[in-house]
Amino acid sequence: MAWNEPGGGNDKDPWGGKDQGPPDLDEALKKLQERLNKLFGTGKKGGGSGKGGSDFQLGGSALVVIAVIAVFVWGLFGFYQVDQQERAVVLRLGVYHSTVLPGLRWNPPLIDEVTKINVTKVRAASSRGQMLTEDENIVDIALSVQYTVNDPANFLLKVKSPELSLEHALESALRHVVGSSKMDQVITEGREEIAVATQQRLQTYLDAYQSGIQVAKVNIEDAQPPSQVQDAFDDVTRAKEDRERLKNEAEAYANGIIPEARGAAQRQLEEAQAYKEQVIAEAEGEAQRFTQLLAEYQRAPNVTRERLYIDAMQDFYGKSSKVMVDVDGGSNMMYLPLDKLMEKSSAARAERSQEVDIRELTDKVIEQLRRDSQGSRREGR
Amino acid sequence: MDSRNFTVILALLAVVVISFNSLFIVKQTERAVMLKFGEVVNPDVPPGLHVKVPFMNTVRKFERRILTLDAPTQRFLTVEKKPLDVDFYAKWKVSDTQKFYTATNGEEIRADALLAQRINTGLRNKFGERTFHEVVSGERDLLMTDLTRDLNTITVNEFGIELVDVRVKRIDLPSQVSQSVFDRMKSEREREAREHRSTGRELAEKIRATADRQRTIIAANAYRDAQIIRGEGDAMSARTYAAAYNANPEFYAFVRSLRAYKDSFGGDGDMLVLDSDSDFFRYLKEGAGKR
Repeated sequence: MAWNEPGGGNDKDPWGGKDQGPPDLDEALKKLQERLNKLFGTGKKGGGSGKGGSDFQLGGSALVVIAVIAVFVWGLFGFYQVDQQERAVVLRLGVYHSTVLPGLRWNPPLIDEVTKINVTKVRAASSRGQMLTEDENIVDIALSVQYTVNDPANFLLKVKSPELSLEHALESALRHVVGSSKMDQVITEGREEIAVATQQRLQTYLDAYQSGIQVAKVNIEDAQPPSQVQDAFDDVTRAKEDRERLKNEAEAYANGIIPEARGAAQRQLEEAQAYKEQVIAEAEGEAQRFTQLLAEYQRAPNVTRERLYIDAMQDFYGKSSKVMVDVDGGSNMMYLPLDKLMEKSSAARAERSQEVDIRELTDKVIEQLRRDSQGSRREGR
Repeated sequence: MDSRNFTVILALLAVVVISFNSLFIVKQTERAVMLKFGEVVNPDVPPGLHVKVPFMNTVRKFERRILTLDAPTQRFLTVEKKPLDVDFYAKWKVSDTQKFYTATNGEEIRADALLAQRINTGLRNKFGERTFHEVVSGERDLLMTDLTRDLNTITVNEFGIELVDVRVKRIDLPSQVSQSVFDRMKSEREREAREHRSTGRELAEKIRATADRQRTIIAANAYRDAQIIRGEGDAMSARTYAAAYNANPEFYAFVRSLRAYKDSFGGDGDMLVLDSDSDFFRYLKEGAGKR
């Protein structure tokens, strides 16, 4: 039918294929006009009205056609589709009517106003700045917030600029939380807590404004001391490392010397033990030796004694240089050049080749002494 | 015929124009007052399609949604006369359209300005009776709820505005003061760094000293134990000797002396000056002939 035409492009028209092909607009109009003329014409004839009615009929029927086309076009503009990501908020004559789910939808244009809002897209906002902490320090914080629209009607109808409201509320919430925290907490282990607290507070604010926004996550991206004092903070970190280093060095020292000392102690004990075993064994040995010797001595005391004495004497006289003095009562003056003799003997020690000479010399000395003493004895007699 | 058609069309147009003029829509996001020659006849027209008499009734529309007042940064003093740069925002909405219309002529900008002045004064008072610390951390919430409540009664009564929320965004020290805060932070860090380093040295010294002590104690204990063991050995050997030698002390003295002579005079190069009268030489002198 002619209706199809203003839809523009028969392919796109949903009812295009159903009818008898693509009729020409003029042709269709003509047909319609004829039909209408017939209708009106008969009516008029029946009514017995004069001529000129056909003109009026022509104008009237044109108006009707225009009206029908207008209604059709109007109806066509009422179609819209809502994506899976979206919800559409419908206002009917300005009043909130409904929130529409995804799919192909139709609402009367001009009467209904449809606004589509993406409710699954994760939106983001961020904030960065220096702020005061509870202990009157200043920290530099950057954070981002991810959020979705969970109530499109509220998002659209309750707050004028919900996104701007979110930014304001975020800044307020963050500064509140940071202002109630200690600096060390903010820049170190307390980050996550701050993110959580900020998120809760932010959500409370947004709920109070009925903004229709659901905060998914607040991320503290960066929390640092301000650049003006960064060096000092770095130095603290270095100082902590230094502390650990010094401690480790000392422990290394301790670990070095204590086992060594234990080892040395063990050695001392072992040596003492060895000494103990040694002296006991020696004592036992000597005692046994003596006891056995004693047994033999008791069997023949005089002989044994004599033998032992002479053996011993031989042993040590045999090794040393000797000067025999046969003095009777010491009445004679006797001169022994002991120092010379000693020199000689030491020289003999130094040069083994002269040993013989020294022996000879010693023999001579002894001979001399003997002669002297014999001479004096003879004289004395 | 033509003129008849023309009048029909004209009449239709007139109807359309008049009906458009007599119909109006208040959207869900709007509030409206209807005036009759400037006099408010309906202070709160609900959302929807409504009829008015053209040229007699006029309609003024306002925002129904929550609006934001974002004020510029202001300097406030705390009770200890510390200056603070404060940035705040307020959320408000029209609660009484008639009052709002009369007080502000329905202009949001004027409403913002009026509110800003009121909030400014309110904040100044609230800050003036609190310390820096209370403002920054302790009583932010309380301060804000107090302020909102206090101001709300006034704004509702005077401007037809409901204050939904007043929030402080930034509370910052002025830049000159910030510098001294940075200096202080720096000095605190320096103190901390020094503390860490000296604590490290302290720990190290303690560890070394403990190690040295342990070493000394280990050595001393070992010495003690070694001496005890040696003493045991000495005692045992003495007992053994005594037990053996007590059998004949005189003979022991003899044997022992002989060995002592051996050990004492056995050295190479020792020189002995001997008296031939000694017992050893008795045969040397007398000879076999004497027998």
